[in-house]
Amino acid sequence: MDPSQTFSSSPELANFVVSSGVLNQSLATVQDLHGEMINQNEHPVRHKVSQQPNCTFIAFSTLPACGKDYIQERGDLVSSSTLKESFPLFNFLSNKNNPDFSINKAALELFASISDRLPTLKSQIDNSKVLIITGNSFGGSVATLFTLWLLETIDFSITKRPLCITFGSPLIGDNGLQNAIFKYPTWNSCFLHVVSDQDPVPRVLISPHNPPATELASQTNVYKPFGTFLLCSESGCGCFEDSQTILELLTATYSDGPGNENPNQVLELYRKIVEYLNCKVICGDTTGLLQWTTLPLRAGIIIQLVATRLMRPQLQGQNNGLDNLITKIEKQETKLAESRRQGFDPSKKLNKMKINMAYLEWYKKCFKEKGIGYYDSFKSGSSQSDIKVVEFKTILTHYWVDMVDEAEKKPQKEGASFRTRWLGAGTNFRRMIEPLDIAEYYKGGGQDYIKSGRPVHYKKLEQWLKEKPASVPNKLKKQNVASSLTEDSCFWAHVEEAHISCKLLSSGESSDMEKELKKLLEFENYVYGLMKYYAVSPEIFLPQSSFMQWWKEYKEIMGTSYSSNLSNLMKDHDKYAIGSLEIP
Amino acid sequence: MASLKVGENKEINTDLIQKACSLAVKAHSKSSQKSYILEKTGGSSYVIFSFPGYWSENDWYDGEPFGETKINLDLFPSLRSIGIDEHAKVNKAFQQRFVDKISRNQDFIKEVEKAKNERKQIVFTGHSTGGSIAILATIWFLEKYWRSDASATSPLCLTFGCPLTGNHIFSHALRREKWAPYFIHFVMRYDIVPRILLAPISSIKQEFQPILQFLNPKSSRASTNTPPEALNFYMNVMKNASSVASHAACKLMGNTNLLLETMANFTALSPYKPFGTFVFCTGNRKLVILSNPDAVLQLLFYSSQLDNEAECPDVAQRSLQQHFSYGNELKDCFTKLDADHAVLLESLEKLPLSADSTTTSSDITTINAALKDLGLSTRARLCLCAAGELEKRKIGNKNSIDLKKADTAMKYLQEYQLSCKHQGLGCYDAFKIHKSDKDFEANVNRLELAGIWDEIIEMLKNYDLPDAFEGEKEWIDLGTKYRHLVEPLDIANYYRHLKNNDTEGYTKKGRPKRYRFTQRWLEHAQRLPAGSCGESCFWADVEELRIKTSSKEGYAPFKDEVLQLEEQAMKWINDGVLDKDVLMENSTFMVWWKKQPDPLASCINDIEGFTITSA
Repeated sequence: MDPSQTFSSSPELANFVVSSGVLNQSLATVQDLHGEMINQNEHPVRHKVSQQPNCTFIAFSTLPACGKDYIQERGDLVSSSTLKESFPLFNFLSNKNNPDFSINKAALELFASISDRLPTLKSQIDNSKVLIITGNSFGGSVATLFTLWLLETIDFSITKRPLCITFGSPLIGDNGLQNAIFKYPTWNSCFLHVVSDQDPVPRVLISPHNPPATELASQTNVYKPFGTFLLCSESGCGCFEDSQTILELLTATYSDGPGNENPNQVLELYRKIVEYLNCKVICGDTTGLLQWTTLPLRAGIIIQLVATRLMRPQLQGQNNGLDNLITKIEKQETKLAESRRQGFDPSKKLNKMKINMAYLEWYKKCFKEKGIGYYDSFKSGSSQSDIKVVEFKTILTHYWVDMVDEAEKKPQKEGASFRTRWLGAGTNFRRMIEPLDIAEYYKGGGQDYIKSGRPVHYKKLEQWLKEKPASVPNKLKKQNVASSLTEDSCFWAHVEEAHISCKLLSSGESSDMEKELKKLLEFENYVYGLMKYYAVSPEIFLPQSSFMQWWKEYKEIMGTSYSSNLSNLMKDHDKYAIGSLEIP
Repeated sequence: MASLKVGENKEINTDLIQKACSLAVKAHSKSSQKSYILEKTGGSSYVIFSFPGYWSENDWYDGEPFGETKINLDLFPSLRSIGIDEHAKVNKAFQQRFVDKISRNQDFIKEVEKAKNERKQIVFTGHSTGGSIAILATIWFLEKYWRSDASATSPLCLTFGCPLTGNHIFSHALRREKWAPYFIHFVMRYDIVPRILLAPISSIKQEFQPILQFLNPKSSRASTNTPPEALNFYMNVMKNASSVASHAACKLMGNTNLLLETMANFTALSPYKPFGTFVFCTGNRKLVILSNPDAVLQLLFYSSQLDNEAECPDVAQRSLQQHFSYGNELKDCFTKLDADHAVLLESLEKLPLSADSTTTSSDITTINAALKDLGLSTRARLCLCAAGELEKRKIGNKNSIDLKKADTAMKYLQEYQLSCKHQGLGCYDAFKIHKSDKDFEANVNRLELAGIWDEIIEMLKNYDLPDAFEGEKEWIDLGTKYRHLVEPLDIANYYRHLKNNDTEGYTKKGRPKRYRFTQRWLEHAQRLPAGSCGESCFWADVEELRIKTSSKEGYAPFKDEVLQLEEQAMKWINDGVLDKDVLMENSTFMVWWKKQPDPLASCINDIEGFTITSA
């Protein structure tokens, strides 16, 4: 078979953006806002909410109207570490891998100045409608920050993602902010920046010597773009997503028009462009027909460069110094698309994980035959196969941590975080693997796992399961209990805690004997409850299990005459495994 | 006798096309009571049914913004995707018209049956909305007569300036059934009518009435001049067509920018999609023929795009006038029909992107000239190319399915099934107990297979496999074999882990799509009612009944269900679709069944060979 050809869908995406008509409507709202009368003592940030039948528009604009020089003087960045206490709204953007980021100080101050308006604004958002947030120049920067704030506060399992459209806005943050947004492609997809080739404002904060890509990692305090950029000219428009390409093209496409300082004129410039683009969608593109043979991907890029006026149609094929740029864009586009496609096949991966689970299940069974149970065997770390178990556990944990994190940010389906298949497999994973984490935790001397040691992915998986309705146990469940997993994946943590309480009691070290005793009684009832519902695996009764160890110690403390619900059951717990234990 | 080549092995007599075209137009002008006209010439091998069009706004848009509705599955049972079981959509007004005027018309049915019995080729034709009725009549014929009678002569549907009629599933289903080649649509380069339904009614409401007035051949037009609304009408329809085309092109080109998804939330896109073979008339005696639906959709937009803004008023007028010029145009074309005048676009992925004149290949030169006559820029050519590439990729996806690995796993499980039987326990029960290394190996093989099949299902859900896939015998057989062998193990696994406690019963909530899909394939291929091939779920039925009868109420309230299960089991075993190992003495089924009151009166006892196992 022939190798498959690749294409650049960007020219089509640009066309789709224009023909959808959202640019007109957004810009109209911004213009309405600018047209409103301005009082003497007006707040520097104004906004307007416009309710359309299917869509809500929120536009922002700032005072004073700011031109290129005004913004150039306000290029300072403020770091997230300084904001942590004073302005915590964006703390959610920090994470372990990407702890710090910086935002343009002036834009942030403008946004901070409307903090008191945020609840009112949010209340005007109608979940049943789609939401567009827009603004030009610094107004667009405020719109961007407002959108970012929404991304954290809105539950996207029930609401559609908003779209933020800026017109001629300066760059707003450094590569830290960029990384925070790139982490979730859906977040990045909420931003569309419209830039005219005649508008200097979007370009002022680009550092004059943009470093080559290899030095990027070490670069801080340099502005970086995110989202999709729609670069417009009199020849059309092209859209770009790769950040390095955007930086290069922002600089290269700038044609020094009449230095527009008056914001109304700048708005007028955008109005004309949008109107022109709208007319153009039904016309053949200016590229016409290429004059020489070229591959599809390259042809797509050339179409975009012609649309941004970097290339002239009549100059095609001549050496106009753009070949290097085209090749570079080609490489960057390919790389971006590749990285996006990775991990694209969720189902394939899930099935691989299930095979890993099958292996673990097998190990579990082998330990059971040795009379020790996989929890205690793993805790003692004495078996050769434990190494294998660790291997599978690591792979599985990696997978589920990622899945849970991703599902939180981008629900798999509307209204629920996980599709049923994932929830089922995730529950199995939790019940099988969490005991191993608990084993490691207590082996390392940890205490109070549930409160202070439990990883977040287990909590989420459990929470999502609980959101589904449960059923009552039946006879079949009793018969099958031998092969089932303990439902409460934290069971062993409870055992360990009970174990600790016992130790404290018998050594007399505890300062509050009553409290420890109470805890033990609670644990006893907890186990009784589990057994009653056949929710615990009979493996806990294996002779060498920690649970039986505890039971022995507990009986010593309570004395031989001690009788309780649980002690009655424990007399013939072997019946439990075959489902014939009658539990009152 | 001249003929037009419309596909690899398909040629159509040009006289027939011209006759159909003139009849299609004639149908409008006949007295309005007639819902179709019939032409049978003595001695000819075909009869032509022609349907008139309709010209009020409600005949186009009835209800929804794009006037679509769910297909009537009683009339058109095949028009759905099989596995996903998504029903096709069709224009509501067209379907209603067909139901009211044609499908219940006894005269019409009589004539069709007569022609069919005389072994004549039946040609359905129509101009404008009449074409849509012809399409539905053709599908109705295919469903009602063709599917059940392979000896019948294949029908033909010829439409002229016909609006889009169905959505992507409509198109998908016709291609799966291999019916798409029976539909030939003629479209003039600028004719607006085939494009109208790409726009929602809201965007053209103001202009639509006067435009329809103009388009109606029955109306007494004040003049032949096009109405002043033509300009806005053309622009609005084209803007919407542009949205649809670019959105589709993004997908064809493997777009990875999620902005597309976000944007799509803000835009209402037409659901309609072409199918069948399209013959584009360039307007200068040339014909461009293609049948890739994605490419046709692109071409519907790009071919009537403007070269420059100045042309707009002129093109807007032509967009209406050309709706009436099919007869003349085709006559001109066919008087001098040679290879240069009718270009068949196949291998779209190899289309020339540039007007590179250095090539000496005459094929390329011809294609280039034809594309140029349709005004296709590099950008338009890229879209066609991507459509071809996608088709190729779908075939590639199918070929990349790891059948070898699947085969190895299936062989292992077949042996596993046998060895279980030798040890006196059916593989369902052996797997459920899961005691030996073999059970573990079987589990790994089950999961390997699940991986392969889930991948297939995922591709089907994204329509990433060729449209024909779910209708191919090879795959239906493979799916059935897989389902019969492996689903019992999945059920065993389900009840072993008591997943019914977390979710619900297997059949209701736990059954994987890989089994649901493959069962539907078989049911569709054999035209059986939905749910009738559930034999691979036998064990789940047993388990669910075990749960029910173990409750306090006991056997009595479920007696009917138990009897039904017994009867089905017998039928399935006798049909050879359920393995006899279910009757082994220690099987979950037998142990349970013997506990039920009066097992000996059950029909199970009648199964041949049963007494031996139970003795």
